[in-house]
Amino acid sequence: MSGEVQKESSRSQAFVVSESRRKMQKVARTAGETVLLLIASFVAIVVLFIFYFVAVDAVPYFQLRGFTEFFTSTSWYPAGEPGEFGALAIIYGTGMVTLGSALLAVPMGIAAAVCLSDILPFSVRQYAKPVIEMLAAIPSVAFGFFALVILAPLLQTSGGPMLMWVWWILAAPFLLLSVIVGSDLLTTKIEDPLRRKRYATMLQALFGLLALLVLYVVGSRLNAMEILTGTNALNVSIILSFMALPTIVSVAEDSLQSVGRELREGSYALGATRAETLVKTVIPAASSGILAAVILGIMRSLGETMVVWMASGNSSHIPEPWYNYLEAVRTLTATIAGDMGEADQVTGSARYHVLFAMGLLLLVISFISNLVSERIVVRQRKILSGQ
Amino acid sequence: MNLGTRKVLDRSFTSLGIGSIVVMALALLVVITPIVYNGLGAVFFQGTIEHRKLLQDEFHRGDKAQLEREIEESGRYRMEAYRMLGEFEAELEGMDPVKARQYRMQLGPVKTALQGLLGPIPGEEPGILTRFRYGQTRWEKAEEKLHELLYESKWDYSDPNVMAKEYFVRRAESFEGTSLLPLFSYVEQNAEKMLLPRFTAYWGFLFDKSVDAHIFGGIWPEIQGTFFLAIGAMLFAFPLGVVAAIYFTEYAKDNLFTSMLRSANSTLAGVPSIVFGLFGLAFFINTLKVSESKSVLAGALTLAIMILPTIIRAAEEAILSVPKTYKEASLGLGSTKWNTIVTVILPAALPGIITGGVISLGRAAGETAPIIFTAAVSVGSAIGLADVLSSPTPALSWNIYNLASEHEMASEIRHVQYGMVLALVSIVLLLNLSAVLLRARITKKLKG
Repeated sequence: MSGEVQKESSRSQAFVVSESRRKMQKVARTAGETVLLLIASFVAIVVLFIFYFVAVDAVPYFQLRGFTEFFTSTSWYPAGEPGEFGALAIIYGTGMVTLGSALLAVPMGIAAAVCLSDILPFSVRQYAKPVIEMLAAIPSVAFGFFALVILAPLLQTSGGPMLMWVWWILAAPFLLLSVIVGSDLLTTKIEDPLRRKRYATMLQALFGLLALLVLYVVGSRLNAMEILTGTNALNVSIILSFMALPTIVSVAEDSLQSVGRELREGSYALGATRAETLVKTVIPAASSGILAAVILGIMRSLGETMVVWMASGNSSHIPEPWYNYLEAVRTLTATIAGDMGEADQVTGSARYHVLFAMGLLLLVISFISNLVSERIVVRQRKILSGQ
Repeated sequence: MNLGTRKVLDRSFTSLGIGSIVVMALALLVVITPIVYNGLGAVFFQGTIEHRKLLQDEFHRGDKAQLEREIEESGRYRMEAYRMLGEFEAELEGMDPVKARQYRMQLGPVKTALQGLLGPIPGEEPGILTRFRYGQTRWEKAEEKLHELLYESKWDYSDPNVMAKEYFVRRAESFEGTSLLPLFSYVEQNAEKMLLPRFTAYWGFLFDKSVDAHIFGGIWPEIQGTFFLAIGAMLFAFPLGVVAAIYFTEYAKDNLFTSMLRSANSTLAGVPSIVFGLFGLAFFINTLKVSESKSVLAGALTLAIMILPTIIRAAEEAILSVPKTYKEASLGLGSTKWNTIVTVILPAALPGIITGGVISLGRAAGETAPIIFTAAVSVGSAIGLADVLSSPTPALSWNIYNLASEHEMASEIRHVQYGMVLALVSIVLLLNLSAVLLRARITKKLKG
């Protein structure tokens, strides 16, 4: 018996740590944590370095040529003697394709996110998610190749009829719906139900005819349109919207899911339909998260290089008229990618530094939008957690 | 609004949502289908005898005896065509010089097309490049060349208001009454016998070097370069990312400094990919001088920075999803914090961390913009493992761009481009698929 006790105590002796050893452990732990901290702050250091090294190569351009030409001139002839570095048309082209892709991707992305979070049953959602993830995973150069080799010739040869069909498919249900809703809204004031029904039917017929006319006129105009080049802003906008969609859908869906059940149940209890609940209650509650999703999606289109480089036509001019999406444009990212090969890196000419100035511009825009979207998300989380 | 309208609105809202998801699925389908269909065409196609000759000459592959027999067989039919050509050239000698010059001018394109179809005409010196030494290796290309031989393409400018239209004229018409006339119908009828097309599964497309700037041969240098770059990026980013995630989840205090670090992380995730390229050029190559000029090392470092935020986020999520009880049990047994992390938390979080890593690997493999200035070259052979520190490499993503937009014969080698795109998309999607499967298994396991 006593032998066992002896053993027991000697074993516990091993756990009693001497003062000096404890100190050593403490030093080791602090040192370890410092190393961890250093590694974790590596990311921050990298961000600082990116800003610094891009700015260092961008500043000489502005020292050499000032700000005015870069932001106000549209003549981009970097190879000339002396070169001209007006980037306005390029900035405009960037804005144009970004806006175009946002116009396509934002409504679709929000609708899809709402559908995923509130409408589809779980079993279907399981299959929809991988589709979105696959769309996000496809390399940008594959999208660019598709835009250049398949979509561009298609737009060039049969762009008019294609646009007409897209217009019909998209506009017909929308117009039909507005006819029904519009005639209903216009007749709500009439008390007598019989008369109201009669008026509503008349209005529906009238609006219906109007809608058909609009469908036909716009459709035939689109059909007659000749597209001179398939590598244009429209092509790029379509492909960029495919690429921005997954980002918008997943971030917006997260935000919709974080809106509690109580809000939805309250709305249903008041007799609202699902669409009314979603549009009037859930989406407003999640609006800031959706806004963050939209910003992130737009950032994805803005920063995309390969698709615009391959399929935007790379022509540095502002389209005529300014909203003409069927003309070739040029973007900042494509200019950086395309012109670096010819820019002389060794002597550090303006031609080399102007590309860094463009990079800095992109970097600053993405930094600001990131901060904004982050703030928005944090704020929404605070509000929804009940403050 | 009456109830009927409200119901209609409700239904249409639902269909709008479902419609958007269907559009996304369709978009995926529309993009993927032609890539898969045409990409498979790079490996499976009707290969002509020229393809088999090329394989024998360049890679010493195939049945030599049978090839000789086939060359002899097709040669018989070819000789007849060359005889007609020779006869006509002899006829030209004795013709009125003005007329002869006219015929010669028209003969030029015919000979070029015939050379393109069958390879060099005997007795004439072929060009130095491989592309001039072989005819069409693929039957569908041979049919195009045949059309080029038989028809002359002309443009109709008669109506100034519409774009010029292309139309075709039979070349035979301009040689009416000469000894060359029978050549056209002869070649048209016997093209198959001259080229002996046969179904071919050219697996070498994936494992061969390219011959004459991708006009022939395979894409192994690109595939290898892509792997080098992606794996190199992972070697740097994965350990760093996991350690940073451990710090963020287990050690970071909830203060301003930590939130700044997190902010930096999401900023890095949002930096446009081309800016990474600029940074890689300015920092790794021009400042640190990790290599003389572009190199795999510089490209891998640039890509590593790009995928770092994704890895950190995925690892953080994986660590946070480990049940708290695991940690408490370990700490309760008297183990230290670090010990708990290494022996309990990390093993439990490992599948999740690897999932994030695999997805990032796919992203690194697919990115183009960061490697344009730091690692990619358009032509080159596969580099050895020893050269990764100093030499650049071709890579799938960059070469897809290069072949599609800058190659001198871009429209002639669509099949190679499609094959490359398919290879890249399959690599990326297979990585993602394995990540999805891995994640499904983890969810199952965590549910018990």
